[in-house]
Amino acid sequence: MSEFIINAENQPSREVNRAIKKAATDYDRITIKNPNAMHYLAAGLVDPVELVIEGSAGYFAGTMIHGAKIHIKENAGWFPADNMTEGEVIIDGSAGDGVGQGIYGGTVVVKRDVGSRTGEIMKNGTIIVGGNSGFMSGLFMMGGRIIILGDISDDAGESIIRGTIYVRGSIKSLGKNAKVDELDEEDKMELKELLPKYGFDLEENEYNAFKKIVPRSNRPFYGKESEEG
Amino acid sequence: MCGIAGVVFKDRKLHPVGDALTKMLDALQHRGPDSAGFAIYGGLGLEENEYLLNIEVKEKSGLLETVKNTVNMATPIKKEEIIPSVENYIIYRCKIGLKSFSELKPLIMDVDKLDDVMVLNGAHSFEMIKDVGLVEDIAARYNTRSKVGTHGIGHTRFSTESLVDRYHAHPFQSYIIPDITVVHNGQITNYWKIRDPLERKGHIFETNNDTECIVHYIADKLSEGYKLEEALEQSVKDMDGPFSYIVGTPNGVGIAKDQLGLRPGVMAENNEVFAIASEEVSLREVMDTHDIDQISPGETRAYTI
Repeated sequence: MSEFIINAENQPSREVNRAIKKAATDYDRITIKNPNAMHYLAAGLVDPVELVIEGSAGYFAGTMIHGAKIHIKENAGWFPADNMTEGEVIIDGSAGDGVGQGIYGGTVVVKRDVGSRTGEIMKNGTIIVGGNSGFMSGLFMMGGRIIILGDISDDAGESIIRGTIYVRGSIKSLGKNAKVDELDEEDKMELKELLPKYGFDLEENEYNAFKKIVPRSNRPFYGKESEEG
Repeated sequence: MCGIAGVVFKDRKLHPVGDALTKMLDALQHRGPDSAGFAIYGGLGLEENEYLLNIEVKEKSGLLETVKNTVNMATPIKKEEIIPSVENYIIYRCKIGLKSFSELKPLIMDVDKLDDVMVLNGAHSFEMIKDVGLVEDIAARYNTRSKVGTHGIGHTRFSTESLVDRYHAHPFQSYIIPDITVVHNGQITNYWKIRDPLERKGHIFETNNDTECIVHYIADKLSEGYKLEEALEQSVKDMDGPFSYIVGTPNGVGIAKDQLGLRPGVMAENNEVFAIASEEVSLREVMDTHDIDQISPGETRAYTI
């Protein structure tokens, strides 16, 4: 495996991103030292490279990536993995609002708590949160799955159209068009296969605590459900 | 956009708060280049009923003497300092004594009547530094890094709706009760609904800036006996719009965030320091940020010493 190290200290994010994109064509793994919660790290990275961020990232870490695997060793700010189409973003610490906003594919994992509006307008892909998720998680969600191992706050699944939000902890309140269902065996199997891959080793009985939030209707605002494409 | 920050040293002893806030705000410089400001509490060491005035004066023949005469007519100037600023202005800083706090606002209004003169603030327990330009430039101009205190708040401004000048730089101060300051990121969209009842109670507004509205609102609540936490909680219920703001008082700082969580706010604390800011990059300047909390929509946090 070939590896390249970039020292981000005192560099603007534009220069760091330019260096990442250049290195991504020649190396398998890139490590960013001293990221200092810098915004926009790895924005628009489309090479299937492994990127390790040795610290915290700021806003929009890994926005619009396609195929990269990003590991953030501390926290991330707002909108990590925004609009990702393919790839993986793993955050060891906590993250701000809008985790996985609008993703079309790939997987985002946050080991601790996240802010509000997790997975808003996501179309597909997977978001896993090890801790709690804030207000309006799954806002206008249009596909994919969100898995919250802790609690979910007010207006969960607000205006959800498609997709599923799995919650192990408490659901403070539901948003419009959201309802709670019990998990079936297929759901449990899915979670049992997925969660251990990211270091979430639950006891068998802990899977029984999960509930899932799904849409009441696919056409909640106007039109007939039969017209839904 | 704007960047906001606040820090409290929990042991109540004097610490380099000016240096800490300069670093925190410099890390948020990308959030606003128009102006910046600091309210550094606990380090002035003024006697009871002594106040420090910061007065913006245009460099014009005889004007500074007129300002001094106006102040001296009300009360003798005890100590003075001139700080050069930009755009042909100086900051005239003087220490005065008054019989009571109630004399402060009338004196400020008297001085404000002079053309090309504006009192930026008058305070007893905190030092206000605010000016146009970048954080580092302002910090150098006012020797901010050398200022000590127990706690403080600061701001870097991206102007959206009102003038870019020293007076509209944050922090804003209220004179309803002594030494209440606010820095703010966002907009209060029901501004007039908040302002009207305050004006009916006799509170004086100097600008159409929504941050001034917040600081009077909080000071009014504190004057009615609310604790800082209670005033912040009530403000979140009463105010509409996207906002995060930090309040400074002689005893601590607090943050409030709008109910939809449309402006950022993070905090971290350890045994020595309580810190809040717009972004983690700012908190990192004063403490390890392994464990940071996102301020939730509608949430408030405060720390008093």
